[in-house]
Amino acid sequence: MSSKTYYKIDGKEEGIRIESRILEEKIQVAVENGERLIEVNAFGQHGIGGRLWKAGDASVHVKITGHTGQRAGSLGFPNTVIEIMGPASDDVGWLNAGSTIIVHGNAGNGLANAMAQGKVYVAGNIGARGMTMTKSNPRFAPPEIWVLGSVGDYFGEFMAGGIAVVCGIDPQTPQNILGYRPLVGMVGGKLFFRGPHKGYSDADAKQIPISDEDWYWLTENLKEYLTQIHREDAQESLLKREEWQLLAARSPQEKGGVKKRSITSFRTDIWEKELGPGGLIGDLTTLDRSQVPLITTGDLRRFVPVWENQKYKAPCEGTCPSGIPVHERWRLVREGRIDEAVDLALEYTPFPATICGYLCPNPCMQACTRQIGSMMPIDISKLGRASIQAKMPEFPVLSGRQIAVIGGGPAGISIAWQLRKSGHEAVIYDMEKTIGGKIASVIPESRIPKEVLTAELERISSVIPHIHLKQKLGKQETERLKGDYDFLVVAAGAQKPRILPVPGKERMITAMDFLARAKTNAIDPGKKVVIIGAGNVGCDVATEAGRLGAKSLMLIDVQKPASFGKEREEAEACGAVFKWPCFTQEVTEKGVLLTTGELLEADTVVISIGDVPDTEFLPESVEIDSGFVKVDAFYRTSDSKIFAVGDIVKPGLLTDAIGAGRKAAEAINMILKGQEPVIEKRDMIDTDRIRLEYFDPRITCFDDVDHCGSQCSSCGNCRDCGICISICPQTAISRKDLGNTAYEYVVDVSRCIGCGFCAGACPCGIWFLTENYSMG
Amino acid sequence: MSANRPVTPSTLSIKDLPWQIRWSKEKCTLCGSCTAVCPVHALELGVFRKRVVESSIDIKQTSSNVFKIYHGIRQKTDPQHACVGCGMCTMMCPNDAIIPARSDEADKLIYHQNQGGQPRRRGGRRNVVGGILDQIKFIRISMLTDPALDAGRHEFELRTLLGRILSPEDNLKHLKANGWIPPVREIYPLIIGGMSFGALSPTMWEGLQMGVAYLNEEMKMPVRMCTGEGGCPPRLLRSRFLQYVILQIASGYFGWDEIIHAIPDMKVDPCAVEIKYGQGAKPGDGGLLMWYKVNKLIAAIRGVPVGVSLPSPPTHQTQYSIEEAVAKMTQSMYMAWGFRVPVYPKISASSTSLSVLNNLTRNEYAAGLAIDGEDGGTGAAYNVSMNTMGHPIASNLRDCYLNLVKLGKQNEIPLFAGGGVGKTGNLAANAAALIMLGASGVQTGKYIMQAAAGCLGSESDRCNICNVGLCPKGITSQDPRLYRRLNAEDVAQRVVDVFLSFDTELKKIVAPLGRSTSLPIGMSDALGISDYHASERLSIKYVV
Repeated sequence: MSSKTYYKIDGKEEGIRIESRILEEKIQVAVENGERLIEVNAFGQHGIGGRLWKAGDASVHVKITGHTGQRAGSLGFPNTVIEIMGPASDDVGWLNAGSTIIVHGNAGNGLANAMAQGKVYVAGNIGARGMTMTKSNPRFAPPEIWVLGSVGDYFGEFMAGGIAVVCGIDPQTPQNILGYRPLVGMVGGKLFFRGPHKGYSDADAKQIPISDEDWYWLTENLKEYLTQIHREDAQESLLKREEWQLLAARSPQEKGGVKKRSITSFRTDIWEKELGPGGLIGDLTTLDRSQVPLITTGDLRRFVPVWENQKYKAPCEGTCPSGIPVHERWRLVREGRIDEAVDLALEYTPFPATICGYLCPNPCMQACTRQIGSMMPIDISKLGRASIQAKMPEFPVLSGRQIAVIGGGPAGISIAWQLRKSGHEAVIYDMEKTIGGKIASVIPESRIPKEVLTAELERISSVIPHIHLKQKLGKQETERLKGDYDFLVVAAGAQKPRILPVPGKERMITAMDFLARAKTNAIDPGKKVVIIGAGNVGCDVATEAGRLGAKSLMLIDVQKPASFGKEREEAEACGAVFKWPCFTQEVTEKGVLLTTGELLEADTVVISIGDVPDTEFLPESVEIDSGFVKVDAFYRTSDSKIFAVGDIVKPGLLTDAIGAGRKAAEAINMILKGQEPVIEKRDMIDTDRIRLEYFDPRITCFDDVDHCGSQCSSCGNCRDCGICISICPQTAISRKDLGNTAYEYVVDVSRCIGCGFCAGACPCGIWFLTENYSMG
Repeated sequence: MSANRPVTPSTLSIKDLPWQIRWSKEKCTLCGSCTAVCPVHALELGVFRKRVVESSIDIKQTSSNVFKIYHGIRQKTDPQHACVGCGMCTMMCPNDAIIPARSDEADKLIYHQNQGGQPRRRGGRRNVVGGILDQIKFIRISMLTDPALDAGRHEFELRTLLGRILSPEDNLKHLKANGWIPPVREIYPLIIGGMSFGALSPTMWEGLQMGVAYLNEEMKMPVRMCTGEGGCPPRLLRSRFLQYVILQIASGYFGWDEIIHAIPDMKVDPCAVEIKYGQGAKPGDGGLLMWYKVNKLIAAIRGVPVGVSLPSPPTHQTQYSIEEAVAKMTQSMYMAWGFRVPVYPKISASSTSLSVLNNLTRNEYAAGLAIDGEDGGTGAAYNVSMNTMGHPIASNLRDCYLNLVKLGKQNEIPLFAGGGVGKTGNLAANAAALIMLGASGVQTGKYIMQAAAGCLGSESDRCNICNVGLCPKGITSQDPRLYRRLNAEDVAQRVVDVFLSFDTELKKIVAPLGRSTSLPIGMSDALGISDYHASERLSIKYVV
């Protein structure tokens, strides 16, 4: 080329540097004028040699002597060859789009920045940020830079295409020919290099083997490069293939996978190596800390279901003063064992028909869980009345132990019955010819059919001896009885009517007296009857007075009458009128004079404000409190040989007396066996556990006992319905037959997840979800 | 409720509850997963009665009435079993049949969470959304002025200093006069704030520590984590990982005997000692580890009986004045490690913060001051403390920093800010804002719980049952059945992810400031806010 003639352009005019713009104009004009060989004697002007498109396809050669400024060959065209005869400043070949640029010396920073086509040949070293942001367009050959020595820092940042070759001959930085942190952000292209380096962006670039094709390309193009920079002499030393290395961009997929140590490896090889097996607290606990799923089985369940059959009392059983397991009777009914259901009652009471069927206000029904859902309680009276058929239980052989029971009323009969069932002989002492107490003597037949009562009393009399006392017991006789028997039970009731201490009190007849006489039709109450005390007994008086022909029946009380139930209903049916508050001033011939001055006319005035016990006959050793006998939880009086039950202890319902008798009998039986009596402590079930939704709420009456049984929710007592088995999503529940009709429901802990569905679905509240044992 | 039952004042309906379970009968397969996973037993299988009336007006046909039963998921309404909105049911449901929804009605439950006269206690954070930190913008973006740096390309050395930083001259003077130089640590500016072993589950705590160790040893990021007040497992005390740990001493002094016993065996010094005087989540109140969480392991580490609640007093019982507290405790803690370990107090942000700071400036031992703002989280506190007590961090920190500037000590006593950093997920932005307001570094806890372990808590009062140890993710539970849901390695991995991404985001913010090797601490000219009063209060630019 040197042999040809160059059109010369000088960077100075008249000794003064011309502006880059003027120099550019001169070059462009020269090219327009057909000059194809141009020599520029530069004086620091920038951007020389770029943008020479006016030459079209013709090749233009620009030789730069002197001192070139920045951006030589920037925006270069493919038709252009730029040859810088000495070192070059910054940004050589910036945005080069195809020109070939030869630098016969070192080049500054930013060489080939954003170059997309063309070649830059450098005969020396280059500064920082060479080959950054380079591109490669598939329509053209990729850009190339060739550097004979070394490159400066941050080489190849964000390189997106092109090929860089760094030969490492006479490098400026012999220890590291690639400079500091090369190839950060590289996404495309290749870098061939030869010589030592201090690392590159491993996240962006990777070393790959030099293929034969690569090697062929390198050696072929090397010749051209060395020729251009006049360093053919270096060729031999550059042809040792093993001295070359090749870096290429990682693919996006590879970038994600830049190898860091895995946490698992860190834990095993570093963490636990330093801390010891088990890590941070491996020395403090042996608990397994491996991961578990959110839904767990077995020991890992937070909550576990428990089959709590019969753990709690049903409300009916719990509230029945006699303690009859009512639900159990309905279970027997459901199982078709109606006889057993009937017979069961005699275990608890000698009066299943009389009391449960007729006289009892049935606390069991009042407490029935069904009431919570405003549903009809299960009608026990149906089963009660059927109990007249109950089969006499078998009584054990007598133990030889004897207990005297003073009083043949419900309390006395109950304890005697229970003691006999336990094998002890109980002898009833009573002033009446027949036993039965108030049930027999004062309760109107309208409320209890005679044949029912008689049948039950006969059933009792067949096993309980009765001694008819001709006269009231005194203290001495009582002491003697106590001495003759193992235990003495006082069940004499409350026989002494309470009287109002008002003028004319002698004109009043007591309710007990009235009722007893009425029962044998031995009294004529007249047309007008006033009853002082509007309780249930007062109601019975009114009913009986009505039956005996009274037309005006008035019950007065100092407060809202406490009467309820059948007694009240029957009295009202007879036309009884209730009036309160009324305070009696005097009983006159005309009737009852109130403190207000009002006179309630009466032919008969009945006083019915309750009865108090007569405790005169009891020995001193028996403590009396406010007129009643004081007892402990086992109905034992302050005299440990004497028990007391019934109204003499506390006024109550018939069923209370029955229950007291049963509990006292149990205590005596225990003591006779040489054991300490115990109080049964079984709580009542939380009715929230019962699912009434299974039952029809629109039932207004029960057809028969079967219907009753079917609607009983059997609170706390498994109905054996198997809903739990069906609902369990894990099929973890099964029914286990224990033989002899016994069974239990069991949980396979390896399947159970503790969802509590069994507890949610159980109609009877048997299943309970409870916290699993503490693991911490 | 049943037809025939009376209501009580606290009888609530689903409508009254803040979280209401939406359940689809059609989609539900009755698998039991939701009731099994529900942490508070808010769900149960319900038995439902469905009545169908077949009506007929044709006189020849009688109308009929049929009851049918179906089973489904029922939400309990008593306050003890009110849904907490955690959504674990939704997570477990195979058929997407169930989801808790926030009520559109004013909360009625709030009036009934004081049964038995016990005010509500809970874990979590202040139930107030937003905060000033998210409103702060970074307005100084250098393009052609400062050397604008590229977060993705340039090298950054984002480090901060923890310790009393004296000039070389002063250090020499100090050395000559006192025989020692205040120790200073170069650490990463984002610190995992004090969450105790006990408040957190063993798996969570180990995961955090492991992640921190990984960041230090594999990623060369000097990240530090504070133990909180609950002691430190003996093995950690005797390992080289202790250097990544800031030991906390607080008013309950739990676990310090183990730390003292370990001192002779320590391979390395701990990074620092933090003396906790206050906590942002519950200023004026001490720690409150409830008995549910004090099992054998926790009891052993803390040196207390099993199954007792561990309230820490609100103050250090034997410290009667700032002077005494700072002088006595700080000096004693320095002595423990031969004056090689920086010791600094942590207080809850308060109108008294400046007094504490001023006192520290006169105390040659104070290695810094950590200030915890009202938006801090906690494992257990009284709701009233959490929701209503405390001071926002931004202005409190700013006041303290500007006060240091006034005293010419802004480069001497580093301030560390916490409480609501990353409250809405903008961890790096919030941290950068605090740094530019004057913090040398920030502490974060809640963000880590959420990002590293999937904590479900939110300002909508979601979940927040950390205090009773029922954490459905196993983050704050001491029950193996719950904490084994969490894998320590997963937590560690997430800690690493969080810090790496935080690092990039912080770089994105500081790069345009031309900062790559020193944090722009107090560089408040880079901050702007569209709230005029806030701009005045914080002395930053008002931009609209």
